Amino acid sequence: MNDSLIIGQYVPGSSIVHRLDPRTKITVIFFFVFIVFFANSLPSYTAITIFALTSMLATKISVRYIMKGLTPVWFLIVFTFLLHLIVTKEGSVWLNLFGWKIYSGGVIQGFAISMRFFLLILVTSLLTLTTTPIEITDAIEDMLQPLKKIRFPVHELALMMSISLRFIPTLMQETDKISKAQASRGVDFRTGPLKERIKAVVPLLVPLFVSAFKRAEELAMAMEARGYQGGEGRTKLRELKVEKRDILVYVVFAFVVGLLFFTRTY
Amino acid sequence: MDILFDKVSYIYQQNTPFAHKAIEDLSFHIPSGSFVAVIGHTGSGKSTLIQHLNGLVTPSEGEVRIGEYRLTKDEKPKNMKALRSKVGVVFQYPEHQLFEETVAKDIAFGPQNFGVSKEEIHRRIKRIAPMVGISEALLDRSPFDLSGGQMRRVAIAGVLAVKPEVLVLDEPTAGLDPRGRKEIMRMFYELHQREKLTTIMVTHSMEDAVTYADYVIMLNNGTIYMEGKPEAVFTKAEALKKVQLDVPEMIQFIHAFETKFGTSLPFKRQTIQQLAEQIQHRLKGAEYDE
Repeated sequence: MNDSLIIGQYVPGSSIVHRLDPRTKITVIFFFVFIVFFANSLPSYTAITIFALTSMLATKISVRYIMKGLTPVWFLIVFTFLLHLIVTKEGSVWLNLFGWKIYSGGVIQGFAISMRFFLLILVTSLLTLTTTPIEITDAIEDMLQPLKKIRFPVHELALMMSISLRFIPTLMQETDKISKAQASRGVDFRTGPLKERIKAVVPLLVPLFVSAFKRAEELAMAMEARGYQGGEGRTKLRELKVEKRDILVYVVFAFVVGLLFFTRTY
Repeated sequence: MDILFDKVSYIYQQNTPFAHKAIEDLSFHIPSGSFVAVIGHTGSGKSTLIQHLNGLVTPSEGEVRIGEYRLTKDEKPKNMKALRSKVGVVFQYPEHQLFEETVAKDIAFGPQNFGVSKEEIHRRIKRIAPMVGISEALLDRSPFDLSGGQMRRVAIAGVLAVKPEVLVLDEPTAGLDPRGRKEIMRMFYELHQREKLTTIMVTHSMEDAVTYADYVIMLNNGTIYMEGKPEAVFTKAEALKKVQLDVPEMIQFIHAFETKFGTSLPFKRQTIQQLAEQIQHRLKGAEYDE
């Protein structure tokens, strides 16, 4: 199946990051995304970089694996760097390549922006790497509770999310299976003119839709047969609980934020 | 076509934390024209094994040879399509692969991809449909209107219409009723003999393996646990028990018969009919002795 793309791929483990309350992770990452844009000096960049790298190491997932998973984004990061290098014309001239002047401002700017980019993607991918989709859904359901006051169907939304997440691997397997069966019948998905390849998708999509609909029907029937009834009064199998480690993470993060604003003001 | 596995290993999702070996150091040889049963538990590597047979996966280590085609880690046959036209695979629940508007079109899909002429396809459908038990009237119906059993037959016809030399069957009778099972297995066996096919069948049914296969490969955790002629493999009750496989009913019966009457009744892949006659003969013989 798909071997290289890891964004969204959960890696089982028992590190402190894995065991954190998913709400903690979502909250911290949400605010991290904001504060990354407030960093503007070497100390502030150092602070957030250390925070991000420490979090990464704390997951105990192999660094090589994480970096390899970011491969599709590396291109964007390098591109951003080069763009700033060429476009920015501030500071003193560092290098003069056949009339192309590279300014010190460009180097610094390029480095800063691509660093921001890298940190953003690294930290957000840590969420999906260490949190199962089900945990994320539970956390979102919990965090959206206030919306219930305005009659927003929070539980139904969460249920839809968890069902679709649950069926992603199933559909992937199904796709793999059917594409192998059709490949055995002489369909070529990989080579040939584009028109042919688009046509080759039909024998894949039709059976996939047929089985997806069948599955949906069966699931609905099974849920009804077991008397499923969402929302009010339904207890949870997985209770979310704030532990000491969550508080620790909040404190550390608050410290980083404090440091950042301190360096900005002084 | 001769099939040769030489120290084949396959690793899923190599170089990730999810890497796991599905088969390890597998070596065996299947001579052309034989009927081989592959037996083993879920996760023993059966499905991975059969995917090597038409190049859906290539070995992580070792070499697979199917006739003139060679598959290794870095070498794939240039003409994969030619290999796939010679190795027909009936996957588990093949009815999931149906997609065309009519049964006839779906059967024609495979041969069409392999460049068989329209007239020839038409001839093949005419011949194969009755063989798998699909009546003329069904050919213009949508495959999605058929019953599960009929859909299975259509899918099988779609593979047979390519006229493969090697037939790979992955639990072809799973989920069918007993009569359907028997009919389909008999059809495969007749075809195997008539067309001199090389047949490789993955199965959970020890009965089918004993009845049809002339060689058995048992897998456990991705390696060969036992292999040999069915009469040799299936009589090792202890070894089978160790990997939680059943002894075929007939052999169980023979064992029980032997202990009860203190005689030896060797298992030579008799049919039930033959065994009954053998026993009848013995019993009569005993009567006359007294």
